[in-house]
Amino acid sequence: MSTEINIKDKIKRNSSMFVNFVKSAVTASPKVQNNFLDVSAKVAETVLKIVKDADLVVDLNYKGKEFWSENRCKTACFVDGGVDKTSIISSAPLSIRAGSYVVKPDAISKREYFEESMVFLGDLYDPKNELYDFIDDDFEEDQMLNKKKDGARIIFEAATIVKHILLNKKFDYCFLHGPIEGTVMPFSVPGFPTFTKFAIENMFPFAVNKKTDVAARHFINVYLEALNYIKKGKFPIYGIVETSNSAPYVKNLLYNYKSQGKISDKDYNNFIKIIKKYKITDSHLLEIILSSGQALKPIEIKKQIQGFTVTTGSSWEDKMESFPKVFIGYIKTTDNNSPIRIESLNNSKNLIKDYEYILGTSRLLPNYGFPVGLNVVDKFAKIPNWMSKASRKYYATHLLRQAVKNKDQNTISLAVKILSKKARSWRNRPIGGITK
Amino acid sequence: MLKNSNWKSIGTVLGETFIDCFYFSLKNYKAKKGDIVTTDSKVPSSEGKIIPVTVWGKISTIESSNAFFPTEAAQELTNEDIDIRDTILPTTRDELICKVVILGYTKDEDKSSKLLPLIYPVRPAATVKYPSSEDVEALLISDLNSSHPIYIGSLLAREAVKIRIDADNLVSRHVSIFGMSGSGKTVMVRRIMHEMLCKNYPMLVLDIHGDYLGFIQKQKELYPDNKIKLFYPNLSVNSEDKEIIYTLIDKLGKPLTDPQKDFLNSLLEKVKYEGGSLLKYVKLLNQRSREYASEGSTSFKNIRPASMYVVARSLGQVAKKLENMEQTNFRHRKKMSKLKFVELADPATEPEKIISKGQLSILYLKGYETLPASAIVSILLENLFKHRQEVNEEIPPFLTIIEEAHNFIPSRSENKDDLPSVETIRKVITEGRKFGTGIMIISQRPSRLDETIASQCNSQIIFRMVNQRDQKATRDRSETLDVDDSKQLPNLANGQGIISGQVVNFSLPVQIKFDEKLINEDIGNENFIDTVENWDDSEAVKERQKFAQDFSDISDMDNRSAN
Ligand SMILES: Nc1ncnc2c1ncn2[C@@H]1O[C@H](COP(=O)(O)OP(=O)(O)OP(=O)(O)O)[C@@H](O)[C@H]1O
Ligand SMILES: [Mg+2]
Repeated sequence: MSTEINIKDKIKRNSSMFVNFVKSAVTASPKVQNNFLDVSAKVAETVLKIVKDADLVVDLNYKGKEFWSENRCKTACFVDGGVDKTSIISSAPLSIRAGSYVVKPDAISKREYFEESMVFLGDLYDPKNELYDFIDDDFEEDQMLNKKKDGARIIFEAATIVKHILLNKKFDYCFLHGPIEGTVMPFSVPGFPTFTKFAIENMFPFAVNKKTDVAARHFINVYLEALNYIKKGKFPIYGIVETSNSAPYVKNLLYNYKSQGKISDKDYNNFIKIIKKYKITDSHLLEIILSSGQALKPIEIKKQIQGFTVTTGSSWEDKMESFPKVFIGYIKTTDNNSPIRIESLNNSKNLIKDYEYILGTSRLLPNYGFPVGLNVVDKFAKIPNWMSKASRKYYATHLLRQAVKNKDQNTISLAVKILSKKARSWRNRPIGGITK
Repeated sequence: MLKNSNWKSIGTVLGETFIDCFYFSLKNYKAKKGDIVTTDSKVPSSEGKIIPVTVWGKISTIESSNAFFPTEAAQELTNEDIDIRDTILPTTRDELICKVVILGYTKDEDKSSKLLPLIYPVRPAATVKYPSSEDVEALLISDLNSSHPIYIGSLLAREAVKIRIDADNLVSRHVSIFGMSGSGKTVMVRRIMHEMLCKNYPMLVLDIHGDYLGFIQKQKELYPDNKIKLFYPNLSVNSEDKEIIYTLIDKLGKPLTDPQKDFLNSLLEKVKYEGGSLLKYVKLLNQRSREYASEGSTSFKNIRPASMYVVARSLGQVAKKLENMEQTNFRHRKKMSKLKFVELADPATEPEKIISKGQLSILYLKGYETLPASAIVSILLENLFKHRQEVNEEIPPFLTIIEEAHNFIPSRSENKDDLPSVETIRKVITEGRKFGTGIMIISQRPSRLDETIASQCNSQIIFRMVNQRDQKATRDRSETLDVDDSKQLPNLANGQGIISGQVVNFSLPVQIKFDEKLINEDIGNENFIDTVENWDDSEAVKERQKFAQDFSDISDMDNRSAN
């Protein structure tokens, strides 16, 4: 009984679960509100029982000074992408980039470097843009534009990792800020454009033979190919996700138990319903269950799920099955943060060491509790303020000038380039469309 | 104009640019604050053509930051005693962002290199270049367009770039030189004086500390063709100076009641004086007032003899004070026996003895209290100014250099506004342009200076300044001082100053050239430790010490027996 009280206490004291619930309590029925504490406490207690039964909880070791003197010889690469949210009527100027931060603390020279692995500056409404094949649709919604941006960012990030593998980089670790495998469902909508030949050529040089086939340049196919390539990478590659809005781990864990006959179908289904009703997520539950420095061993999860209305019956339906499964685990890195989700395409050989590395690097970012290298590359990948402002201004005036001159939207052309750059600095490069 | 093909590129213009400034990211260690940089640009001409130009600017701030270092990491590093170099934190990503204040542009095809005001912003992402020192210097000098440039030092950020200022504006439009003690004001003034002496421009220096006596010592060696005269003050007055005399007596003497003041006034009316030493006059007044008092004179209505005695005593006190000041000044002069001091000529009748072509006159004011010094200066300048105003100018234009100016032109808030010099200097400085009576004001405490006078100075040279009020006063009274430059004031080293106003093209941080030869060797630096080391007690002291122990023993014994 004492565990229950303990858990209730924990929920009330500082969990995001409680905060989240209180926020949504306005809409919940009085009964749901009344039962929240009891139900969630009981859920947490049950899940704790199951993870213990499955022997999933591990205690990680971290001693600041020792940790770093052991790991200073390790080369780590951190990858993140950024999108400039510029929006101007009648044009969609965009700057997307993916960057890498590579560091080997004990290196004599060049202990660290940043790299702009992928950069696009251009206008997605420009028929000649070099990222997506142009589809003329006067009624395109913002949603589609956002999907295009997201798609481009996800592909850029994947392409960055692919590039590191391709160039045979000797990393001990590679971390991506975000899921290692994103859900592709949103990109299966009809009318989602294919990437240009030029873009594919620059991002995935090894896929040269496929570039003639239009379907092969669709996001889903390109991404699948990239993921398969990443799966073959020689160094451990992890995606780190700060908070989960759903409960994939808990659901899958219980599903496995159900499959093994350890839980009845009825109990399982009820449990899934309850989780939905009370808006309980992995983050919420695990925050209560795990204490600082503890982790949950990964379980294998299917990211792309069949049976969604959008994909049903479409040509993408079968593709979903081809996507690699993802190993998902959690680490609670600090007292004050929800556990972070660790995703990988392979089951690690040195799981504990890897997790301890993630824990150690996260301790340097106590307020966020995820590897500090990702915070570093995040800042780097974010389109700098001045850049966004400047590009906005210049695209606006430039486009206007062009439009007036030609009296024809379609002749607007910006000198945009996708650069698969190595050493050139972002700042030293002229802004697309300005310098002639 | 200038060829810029060999200028090194040192950075890239960032984001938004403006007409008056831009930002750029600087390559490590390639330029400093205060440096002059350029960027190529294009501007629309008045004929509608687009012309290539070189935009010139001055780096006004440099900020270095490691945007990638999360501050919260410091906590763990400290708690766990972790060396940052062992971690994956970035350690070499300091980024340098410079703000450049645009000075103007020059046309690439033009021969002349006058800076024109920029009318179109520079291009983002353009390369920022580091022009050669010769080219910067050439630009500055041709832009200054001065018929009499004088060399004062070099650009703070770049020693190779010599800085010259415009002497014509210097002598007619007034200059203020501010900075805390020891910051390099006097060194700067000596530099200017050196140059002006070479141009034979007459100067008058009010020297309180003897900072300028080096000019006399080096006269033969350095200025064989100049006259350099060293004056000691004499408070010489004539009947026209009645007001000043009254103020002096009123302020130096005992506080007087109204009837006593009336008596003093009538006394000044009655006792005629044909001019000459004030001390003599005061003594005369003292004598007369005693006489009137003892006679029980009735020629003063309603004034009792007792009041007269009070005035007489007060006059006695004034005389004593004046005597003391003269004595003090005399003693200081005696210490510098090698120097020839002469009594200040009468500016009313013999102004040419003080101001003449090629002459430097130093008035050595050491020992004088504020009020008498102010009176001396007031009378002197009043007369010299009058001679400049007259149709038959008896003296050429000249420059007056006022050291420790807060003594002569204190601000109203100092409650000393009846110092006679305030009024005089205000007049001289306001009309200086017309009559060639330029003034150079030097002070450690600009916030304590008369606002009107200080703001009449069209150029400023500001040295290190820590006091907030002084910094504010300086900024408030200058239209030309660069705001970012002024932030540098507390951190300037000796001899580093910011020059702005009409004597230069634009606000410039400068390292002033130090003329070691011009230091007054007799005074030198105040090195008390050496003084003590070489100390030998005077004879009298030695004599006293001979017996001191004996007397001390006696009194000791005396004390013992008393117990
Ligand atoms: N341009 C310079 N170069 C090198 N040293 C300098 C320079 N200017 C001043 N100094 C050093 O600082 C000392 C003090 O300078 P200076 O006498 O000019 O100060 P000041 O501002 O006149 O001070 P105060 O207000 O006390 O009279 C000089 O004796 C010299 O040693
Ligand atoms: Mg001085």
